[in-house]
Amino acid sequence: MIPAVTREDLKIIGYNLGKICYVTGAVLFLPIIVAVIYSEFDTIPYFLIGSAIAFILGCLISHFLYTKKEMELKHAVCMAALAWLLAPILASVPILLSNATASGLDACFESVSGFTGTGLTLTLDIDHLSHSINFLRHFLQFFGDGIGIIVVSLSILGKTEMSSVLAFKGETKDMGMRPSIVRTSRMIIKIAVTFLIIGTILFTVAGIKAGLDPGTAVFDGLNHSMTGYATGGFSTHSQNLLYYHSVWVEVAAIVVMVIGAINFNLHYVVLGGRRREILKNIEVRVLLFMLLTFGLLVSANLLFTNFYTSGEALFRKCVFHVISAQTTTGFQTVSPSHFMLLWPVFSMVLLSAAMVIGGSANSTSGGIKMLRVGVLLKSFWGDVKRALLPKTAVVRGSFHNIEDTPLTDTVIKGAAMITISYLILFSVGTAITAAHGYGLEDSMFETSSALGNVGLSCGITSPSMPAMLKVTYMFLMWAGKLEIMAVFVLFGFVILCLRKGIKK
Amino acid sequence: MRRKVCFLAIILLLFMIPPVSAESGKELVENSVHFDNKVVTLRGEVVGVLTRGDSAWVNVLDNEVAIGVWCRANDAKKVSVIGDYTHIGDTVEVVGTFHFACTEHGGDLDIHAENFTVLASGKVVERAPDLLTVLLSAVLVALAIFIIFWLRRLREEKSKIVPWPMSWT
Repeated sequence: MIPAVTREDLKIIGYNLGKICYVTGAVLFLPIIVAVIYSEFDTIPYFLIGSAIAFILGCLISHFLYTKKEMELKHAVCMAALAWLLAPILASVPILLSNATASGLDACFESVSGFTGTGLTLTLDIDHLSHSINFLRHFLQFFGDGIGIIVVSLSILGKTEMSSVLAFKGETKDMGMRPSIVRTSRMIIKIAVTFLIIGTILFTVAGIKAGLDPGTAVFDGLNHSMTGYATGGFSTHSQNLLYYHSVWVEVAAIVVMVIGAINFNLHYVVLGGRRREILKNIEVRVLLFMLLTFGLLVSANLLFTNFYTSGEALFRKCVFHVISAQTTTGFQTVSPSHFMLLWPVFSMVLLSAAMVIGGSANSTSGGIKMLRVGVLLKSFWGDVKRALLPKTAVVRGSFHNIEDTPLTDTVIKGAAMITISYLILFSVGTAITAAHGYGLEDSMFETSSALGNVGLSCGITSPSMPAMLKVTYMFLMWAGKLEIMAVFVLFGFVILCLRKGIKK
Repeated sequence: MRRKVCFLAIILLLFMIPPVSAESGKELVENSVHFDNKVVTLRGEVVGVLTRGDSAWVNVLDNEVAIGVWCRANDAKKVSVIGDYTHIGDTVEVVGTFHFACTEHGGDLDIHAENFTVLASGKVVERAPDLLTVLLSAVLVALAIFIIFWLRRLREEKSKIVPWPMSWT
């Protein structure tokens, strides 16, 4: 029997959420530096208001819900699920005050899309957006998805090892790189910052080559590096990367997107000298296989429909978008309405499949994840072998992800559970979108983009879309980021509160 | 007399309505196949200029949709103000061939300009801080500082430990 929820349970969750408020408050201070650099003094009060609200809330929660008790797994998972709602709401304050969006709901949507590293946007007139608000949008992706709110909270405010380990699991980032969880968090930040610097240099050089002035190239480079590594996909321009009309910018984006879609643990061991690990890793193998298969199929489809006829066009439009979809980034060089009105259904379905599958586990990308797909494929192949071999034969499976891991029933069950949950949510999201009058393939495309935290859009996501759809996509982005299970645990916790009440 | 006034008013109104020959950016993007390889006219605000040797890309924003215009670098040099947060960019009129998947430029949607005219110069947009927002921010920051110190005092009195700001110091 599941025990009833106690006041202490709520205090433990609330107290830890207070820390998230502090960190979010600190994050909202950063764009003030950008506002000062670009003399956008009128935007400074927006960030001060947002930051002050976050700090006030954090102080009050931490004080009135103060507890010395350690988190258990249920607290950690509920806390992580709520943190991914609370932080975006707080961060939406400056976006709303700056009139960057048409309404409070749109500001929340933008913020959820930012934190979850999705990249679907409802911002009005991006080309005339202030540098500081633009920086905030991009930084939210880097901070929320590229590093992780809880990772940052642990590094700065890390209290105890036990609480930290559990909170880390709640945020779906597995430990294992370093013996200490706080050291692991710091290592994740170090890896992220290293790739941020490399990405900024790549984008800046490509931007200058594309014809930008150095100042704009650095600003755009920093922002795109943040969203590229976070596999987020926000851009400083309404045309997204099409603004640059440059193959070099697109190549820089491909490098950063692929880096972002690779497991943190793999980055760690490769940076530590085990370079051969790249080709042995099951996730890298599945990623390469998927990119090759989807890339070839989409290119062939668009070539035979005479849409893109040159090799360069097939690379820049087909391969680029397959990589953008598979890594769940969402950088786009095709107009959204071209996806909806002109691209063949087959290519749209393939891109949707790539978005649902997603990148590596423990990376910044979303989707079902390569590891689970690899495990399910291996298990499927094992069953085929079992059927073909004599009864007495024993088939043992294993996969290589940093180390050799046996393919046990528990591992297969875990992968299957998440995959089925994803597919159920995908079907529900598609049905809701289609019920609003959109075509099936467009509904599948936009739903997989929201659920997989991708950000590619076929034009459904716009400020004028129905409020019901905005709420649905916000839920999908949130559930997708938390890999669904945390959402079910939170719902279970709430139902438990309602059915059995809160005990002292 | 009334009829004459009405007639004159209609004539005046007709003169005030701008010519409708230009296609909007949204129209071009949404009906790309129809306009492909046809000469179109696009009017809009310049939001980006990227010079590439003797040629340049000028991104022109019209009706919430920006389109890249491939033109001569000398034409791009005519642009004096590029639209951003503190500027409204020059308004330009471009007459050129529209491609929904340009073979010369890696499948990009673009217009190859034959005629590039600056219709109106851009201007600076003054962005003064809103007094009410400034006041609200000052009050909230003061309140946040007060609450931090008040809770710290309470904590000292009750010997409770609040993790912030002590854990950061």
